[in-house]
Amino acid sequence: MSLVRCSLFADIMEKTILIIEDDKFLRELIGQKLIKEGYKTSEAVDGEEGMKKLKEDKPDLVLLDLILPGIDGFEVLSRMKDDPAFSKIPVIILSNLGQKDDVEKGLKLGAVDYLIKAHFTPGEIIDKIKKAIK
Amino acid sequence: MDKQEILPVIIANFPDGILVFDEKNNLLLVNPKAEALLGLSTGDLTNKPISELKNLSVFEPLAELIGLEAGSKIKDVFRGKIKTKENLTLEVTTASLNNDGGKKGTLVVLHEVTREKMIERMKTEFVSLSAHQLRTPLSAIKWTLRMLLDGDLGRITKEQKSFIEKIYRSNERMIFLINDLLNVSRIEEGTYVYKVALGDIEPMVESAIGLYKEEIKRKKIKVEFKKPKERLPQVRMDTEKIELAFQNFLDNAIRYNHIGGKVIVSLKYDKKEIEVAVKDTGIGIPKDQQDRVFSRFFRAANVMREGTDGTGLGLFITKNIIEAHGGKVWFESEENKGSTFYFSLPME
Repeated sequence: MSLVRCSLFADIMEKTILIIEDDKFLRELIGQKLIKEGYKTSEAVDGEEGMKKLKEDKPDLVLLDLILPGIDGFEVLSRMKDDPAFSKIPVIILSNLGQKDDVEKGLKLGAVDYLIKAHFTPGEIIDKIKKAIK
Repeated sequence: MDKQEILPVIIANFPDGILVFDEKNNLLLVNPKAEALLGLSTGDLTNKPISELKNLSVFEPLAELIGLEAGSKIKDVFRGKIKTKENLTLEVTTASLNNDGGKKGTLVVLHEVTREKMIERMKTEFVSLSAHQLRTPLSAIKWTLRMLLDGDLGRITKEQKSFIEKIYRSNERMIFLINDLLNVSRIEEGTYVYKVALGDIEPMVESAIGLYKEEIKRKKIKVEFKKPKERLPQVRMDTEKIELAFQNFLDNAIRYNHIGGKVIVSLKYDKKEIEVAVKDTGIGIPKDQQDRVFSRFFRAANVMREGTDGTGLGLFITKNIIEAHGGKVWFESEENKGSTFYFSLPME
């Protein structure tokens, strides 16, 4: 293995991504793509489970849906930012809501990016993750 | 009762509001329904000079709509709408009152349309909600097909790839349609928020042309960008929306063009406005269809025959965006020769 490939792999190695998404199929699809790209994954179907997995799995980045049963994505995001243990973890919002107000709200609450699921391929989402964890 | 006696009774009981102004725009008559709709009583209204009437807060939107000024002619209004209170929307119609002696005054009719407005709002919300809901399964399809095409789910044959690429494009079209529907419903709601700031048109045009790189290459279109040598002045605009407005022109110029056709984008300006033109050598618009070009969902007969796709919403959206900026949209077109679409934006 060349030196370049070694260090690239080391960049991805051991990075855990937490996926908070209530749709099972989408959650599995993106999880599958992440694993193929060499990431470790942690999954949550709602906000409460998401907060739990944050403590348990200590992810390096969170992919956060907004429409969730129970507490919504915005609530999860503000709780993360209020907690010094989690406030530094980059959050990418992955939602199908796309109104300008939602995007602004998400970015204002501290998300590093806001992606509309229907507009991005899994590969493009991985690129955004790589940029955020750099 | 005879005809003469019953007329005042009719006016007093009429289910719509009636106001009558004389030739000098003094208020002659107000019926009970008009008072109820405006939340005022007769004492407040009759014999008051216009200046005072206009100052009454409920009267203000009405006065503005009908152009109520001392000495000027009250505007002809056909179903103008005003909102006087929360939950009260009125449809206003004015009519000139003439008899053999000439113009005697103006009739203003107030008709309540609150329920219709609410239904319109519910329809818009429904479209918005459905569109968002539809995005979820469309995302699932998009991601799965993409992973299939990228080989993430195993090897696929060349033939399989060709088919899957077609479904992928079909799915992308649905996603674009959802976006257009959302934009249209937002325009109708009036929540198409405009974030206006000074911006540059040139880089916006160039970035839009960049977005269509693939399609331009695929159809072998020659794109020319003509602009003045000096840097254009900045324009006050919502850059994201203006870029969308321009993209719709560019999209049409490419979509309805022939393989190897030409698209010329030109910019020019004077003291009053900036003008952007997009000219194509495409199929053009038949003369008898030209007056409907900017209508929602309208697609001309010749494109239906060609089998090209399109939502029929692009130009409707562009017109709304440009007009909301105080600009104008217009076009010239000849069937089988091509079209040129223009929009102008006012300078500060």
